Amino acid sequence: MDKKYIVSPSPHIHADTSTTTIMRDVIIALCPALLVSVLVYGWAELLVLAVSVASCVLLEWAVTKWLMKRPSTVGDLSAVVTGLLLAMNLPSAIPLWIVFIGAVVAICIAKLSFGGIGQNVFNPAITGRVFLLISFPAQMTDWMPTPGFITVPDAVSGATPLSALKEALKSGSSISEFLDANGYTAASMFWDIGASAGEISAGALLIGFVYLLVRRVVKPWIPLSILGTMALIAAVFHWLVNPELYTGPAFNLLTGGTFLGALFMATDYVTSPMSTWGGVIYGIGIGLIAMMIRYFGAYPEGMSFAILLMNCTVPLLNMWFHQKKYGRA
Amino acid sequence: MGKLTFSMGGIHPHDSKFARERAIEQLPLPPVVYVSMAQHLGAPAKPVVAVGDRVKVGQVIAEPGGFISAFIHSPASGTVKSVAPRKDLAGNPVVHVEIAVEGDEWEPSIDRSKQLVTAIPDDKAAILDRIKACGIVGLGGATFPTHVKLSPPPGKVAECLIINGSECEPYLTSDYRIMLESPKEIVVGAAIMQKVLGGCRCVIGIEENKPEAIRSMRAAVAELGYPGIAVQTLKKRYPQGGEKQLIDAVMRRQVGSGGLPIDVGAVVQNVGTALAVYDAVQKNMPLITNVLTVTGDRIPGNLQHNYRFRIGVPLSFVVEQAGGIPDTAAKIVSGGPMMGKAVSNLDATTVKGTSAVLYLSEAATRRRPETACIRCGHCADSCPMGLEPFLLNRLYKAADLEALEKHAAQDCIECGCCLYSCPAGVPLLDNIRQAKGQVMGVIRARAAAAKAAAEAAKK
Amino acid sequence: MTQTIIWTVAILTVLGLLLALILFWVARRFRVEEDPRIDEVEKAMPGANCGGCGFAGCRAFADAAVKAPNLDNQYCPVGGDEVMQKVASILGLTVEKKAPQVAVVRCNGSCTARPRTNEYDGVRSCRVKAALYSGDTACSYGCVGCGDCVEACRFGALSMDPETGLPVVDEAKCTACGACAKACPKHIIELRNKGPRGMREFVSCVNRDKGPVARKACANACIGCGLCARTCQHGAITVTDNVSYIDFTKCKLCRECEAVCPSGAIHGVNFPKELDKEAVKKRIADRKAKAAAEAKKEVPNG
Repeated sequence: MDKKYIVSPSPHIHADTSTTTIMRDVIIALCPALLVSVLVYGWAELLVLAVSVASCVLLEWAVTKWLMKRPSTVGDLSAVVTGLLLAMNLPSAIPLWIVFIGAVVAICIAKLSFGGIGQNVFNPAITGRVFLLISFPAQMTDWMPTPGFITVPDAVSGATPLSALKEALKSGSSISEFLDANGYTAASMFWDIGASAGEISAGALLIGFVYLLVRRVVKPWIPLSILGTMALIAAVFHWLVNPELYTGPAFNLLTGGTFLGALFMATDYVTSPMSTWGGVIYGIGIGLIAMMIRYFGAYPEGMSFAILLMNCTVPLLNMWFHQKKYGRA
Repeated sequence: MGKLTFSMGGIHPHDSKFARERAIEQLPLPPVVYVSMAQHLGAPAKPVVAVGDRVKVGQVIAEPGGFISAFIHSPASGTVKSVAPRKDLAGNPVVHVEIAVEGDEWEPSIDRSKQLVTAIPDDKAAILDRIKACGIVGLGGATFPTHVKLSPPPGKVAECLIINGSECEPYLTSDYRIMLESPKEIVVGAAIMQKVLGGCRCVIGIEENKPEAIRSMRAAVAELGYPGIAVQTLKKRYPQGGEKQLIDAVMRRQVGSGGLPIDVGAVVQNVGTALAVYDAVQKNMPLITNVLTVTGDRIPGNLQHNYRFRIGVPLSFVVEQAGGIPDTAAKIVSGGPMMGKAVSNLDATTVKGTSAVLYLSEAATRRRPETACIRCGHCADSCPMGLEPFLLNRLYKAADLEALEKHAAQDCIECGCCLYSCPAGVPLLDNIRQAKGQVMGVIRARAAAAKAAAEAAKK
Repeated sequence: MTQTIIWTVAILTVLGLLLALILFWVARRFRVEEDPRIDEVEKAMPGANCGGCGFAGCRAFADAAVKAPNLDNQYCPVGGDEVMQKVASILGLTVEKKAPQVAVVRCNGSCTARPRTNEYDGVRSCRVKAALYSGDTACSYGCVGCGDCVEACRFGALSMDPETGLPVVDEAKCTACGACAKACPKHIIELRNKGPRGMREFVSCVNRDKGPVARKACANACIGCGLCARTCQHGAITVTDNVSYIDFTKCKLCRECEAVCPSGAIHGVNFPKELDKEAVKKRIADRKAKAAAEAKKEVPNG
């Protein structure tokens, strides 16, 4: 044979799915929510997104090239996804240098210092967000709406529903008074309740998630167990304990970072368990911790902390839960 | 019954059966044939001819070299030129009998007519002897000697004979063509094996992407009227044709780790084997021919063929007769794209289990560069044995044999689903195959030690 | 404020003392009695934990050495005779001296001598590649070049030469632990005696194919012609399965085999002078002529 033919172990064909196509699908799935947030928050939001994505990509490129001296992993688009998710967790009015610091924490500390894609223990975007939340509490909770391209009828106040609620409860008003005063209904919460870009529209996030399900990029078990746990806990506390002190299932599922966290952050491949049952336990844990923080914690929102805490348990869950094997009990 | 399939894992590659419309042609005889002595599972056969001997088509040229081994017959008439090591398709030396072809003179005892013989002999032992004497081995890929598989160990009863017509590997069409062209012979062959196994039920499983084959086989079953034979449609899903997967699909039973199909009352035989059994028992025809597909991706139709070839024809001759290697080919594979072997030596010869010569283009076959595992779990989702390839890969790298055994590396069937579906191009199967070998070695050593200890205790 | 500090210090001190007591008690309670000589022997060992001795590590070696009646079955290839003598004196035993060894790569099928016939596209592992097929050259026996030996070496003594595609042994670092020889699926790495001042002769090929086949696959292959074996005056060379082998216990380093080898498969290393092939060949020819003359002389007499 003159021509040098390839020889390799079987199989000789491969699926079209690659890390890049998976990340591309995630980006596509985020598009509806991104669109809504840019429409509502305008140029400021667009700028936050651009800075976040650009800094994540640049940092990853620079660190892999000069510090780690290994082939760059920018091409797999994972840094873009991190950038988008980070930006979706930030208020649109946030100073851009804070966005950059968030990107440094997310990419350099949470991702690359652990060895890069696939090696990180904590979700990079959430780590970045939590770092910012603790370091810059004022800027991170300043939800002054920036001028958008469209105006939303039930205008968003300066605080997220969850933090407004916490304030209201502290000042002694009951939940029904709070909901009436702000005019929150289930429909308005589903489509356009405000806060950071990622939290604005549960509906838009859900549309994106359905796309991921159809493309078989993710499986529904983790989000289902998170949402189910949160709904269950909320139902128990709301209807059985005290409806005026604890918010109900609909309010809890549709406000804050519940959907963004459950659908896009908790399902991150690297930082979630691999087996179905491991995923379910992980989801229940996230739901439980998030609700405990919301009901009893000092912070109005607990999704990020819940995910970070459960990230720590993933190696254990991977050790304890395995697939069912063929021909074995 | 609706469409059946196995219960876990599996993938859905494009079936690429481009050569399905090509009727089976007879491949001419080359000037020289090389018959390998290691073309079945088990011990290599021992040659019984010497240099200078004249042989006829169908004459025995090698005897079984052990209990699990098989007779080998001459595929051509002529003179034995050499009995010596020669390189197989992986470049490793194996003893071959080289025969210079002169004419085409057959053993007179072989019935070469096309007449269908439906009357099945009564004597089971005689049938088994004939199958053994004709050197029949499983043609589904593993080339396990058929007579051994058809003789269940004492205490084990076959409840179901599954005839595998799923042909789940992409590209391959040889089983499809024989189901279309010789359905009655296959059914008679199945009925013969059914009889040997004591009259259990028989299911012919065919994947849904071959409706013509399903129709053809159904018609043959109905016409011949043997009791207890049914054709079952299976969903299209790889590796449906894997023995364990097929048993799971058809019988809803799973073979335990390290166990044999007969442990759950199943015997699985390929349609090609059924045809070979028919030829052997009804026509006294030894296994000297088989059908192979010549195909590939992005190659012109005139290079695609289904051939009935004499076993021992060099691959280079097959390629030449089929119209040469297309320019787009970057890899030549003997067998299917999922489990076939890449050919590094085209001078190698065809063997009993050769099912295809496949040309794959650079785009179709080149592996993507390995990047970091993103723990997506696609490998575990696609594993038909329910294993966790990412974990086995990691354990192999850590050389943790104990954990590898605990996580069932030895159960791997090497179907390739994990490596096929990995988005990061991690060479999972490459490593797991090694891990499996190492674990099997440990298990065997342990079994041997236990046996020795038991014997020592007896004394 | 002051009170807080005092309380904190007090509580922590008490807590620390308590924990120390518990630790002390646990250490006493669960102490494992071990032969103190194990520690001594372990201290004398090189501490590389390479497994070259066949034990899991230096401590396992020490443990076995203390328990064994003699040291006949144990040898630390890394520490060599020096360490073995120390170990023996600790245990009051004796050991025989062993010649120091070094890993030798018996393949010289460089990229130029051994043209590639196909392209390997699998995981970069000799073990996997060798299990799959004979390799990406026409030689079924030679180095497959994925560097399993380099990975196996714990002393950094092996590296792949990008030019030849073959592993190179750094003699200064090689401890002859044998990890590379075990890792090589083609069994081309052999431990051989280092030889006086590192000088040694070896056949750098393991190709068992017949001459013409081997030659076609690789220009540097041993073709099993037997010229070396016929030339050798010390009976050190044997040819089996078309490949020649030099027994290093018999070789006298005369370099005659190296001079007569037609394919350059025999290598001599660390010799102070370059081999003058013609001079050696002439020496052999002279000797043969002399022997023939002697034989002639003897025949009439005898």
